[in-house]
Amino acid sequence: MTKRFMVRPALCIGCRTCELACSLTHQEGKTPGRTRIYPLAVGKEKWVPVACLQCDDPACVKSCLVDALRMNEELGYIELLQERCIKCRACVAACPFGCSLIDEEQEIIVKCDLCEGNPACARFCPTKALEYK
Amino acid sequence: MKIQINGRWYKAREGEMVLDVLRREGIEVPALCAHEAVEPYGACRLCMVEITHEDWGGWKGNVTSCLYPVEDKLIVQTHTEDVIELRKMVLNLLLARCPNTPEIQKLAEEYGIDITDFVPREDADDCIMCGLCTRVCTQMGFNAISVAGRGYDREVATPLKEAPPDCVGCLACVNICPTNHIKYQDVGTTREIWGRQFELVKCKECGKALITREFADYLIKNRDIPADYFDVCDDCKRAGTAKNFKKLVHWEEKEEAEEEVSV
Repeated sequence: MTKRFMVRPALCIGCRTCELACSLTHQEGKTPGRTRIYPLAVGKEKWVPVACLQCDDPACVKSCLVDALRMNEELGYIELLQERCIKCRACVAACPFGCSLIDEEQEIIVKCDLCEGNPACARFCPTKALEYK
Repeated sequence: MKIQINGRWYKAREGEMVLDVLRREGIEVPALCAHEAVEPYGACRLCMVEITHEDWGGWKGNVTSCLYPVEDKLIVQTHTEDVIELRKMVLNLLLARCPNTPEIQKLAEEYGIDITDFVPREDADDCIMCGLCTRVCTQMGFNAISVAGRGYDREVATPLKEAPPDCVGCLACVNICPTNHIKYQDVGTTREIWGRQFELVKCKECGKALITREFADYLIKNRDIPADYFDVCDDCKRAGTAKNFKKLVHWEEKEEAEEEVSV
């Protein structure tokens, strides 16, 4: 069975290590505020790390008219083929969870790819609020 | 299958073009009209390479790598004297067509051409007639723009040069254009492109706009995406996701986990 990305918001302490890990993995440590994972405060000391849920019936894939997004069956994540993307923002507008993002600086669309099977955010999460197993 | 490029062997897959292998392996070959979102077209002629094969009895040829399918044991040279001469000629011609285009100037300079040998076009614009914009528009299913006219007057245009009825203002043509020829303008929540105005969908919560109403309607109708997905922007949807999680989470889990750790 493919591994699952597990989020346990109750364990999240809002330390933003996941953001930093994501930023260092994907964009050389630049703009940790615009990464593929977002720990959002929902109350006093309550945090929810929001990241792509790799839906079974993904709106982003359906909205892509040039097939730049596709399900990677082997690793169980939705893959964004950067070379094919024409930056029309359809997936950004269509994702019901808001997890397809625009990197304004590099002018590209970014989306969680579970680090192709070894997500850095989960590896570095000190409280195991994020796990990949 | 294996092909040889500049003396080294690389893996290739059945059905792909030589340029696909070159790009995957990071071998630098200029190409302006090739994009993975659309079928290869062979318009710019810059990706020319020399090919030969041990079974061809010494025959060599220069082909556009974007349109040449790989075959086993194909031998490719990307920077022979002839190929460089061909690219220089193409850039010379492109520079005559687009003398003021920075992308063309830069590429020409890389090949040692500062000024074109031909007569530069007087009414020059930035279009190199690569057809990427019209091809991507067709690929996306809109067919709003096309190539019109012949010879010197050939240009990318809308039907009858009027505001295109089939355009949805997705900006695919703008984003794919290698020379930034196609212009658009976003003023507030109004987008203007190809002489037509579009209203952008405003986020119900914060007012941020991502795509046009027409594009959203197209996706709702043809791509089976629920209409309410487009009501709010990505930032507000993430906040909404966090709020929904909050309702589902049993926060007492935290204490239990802390106990586990202390043991």
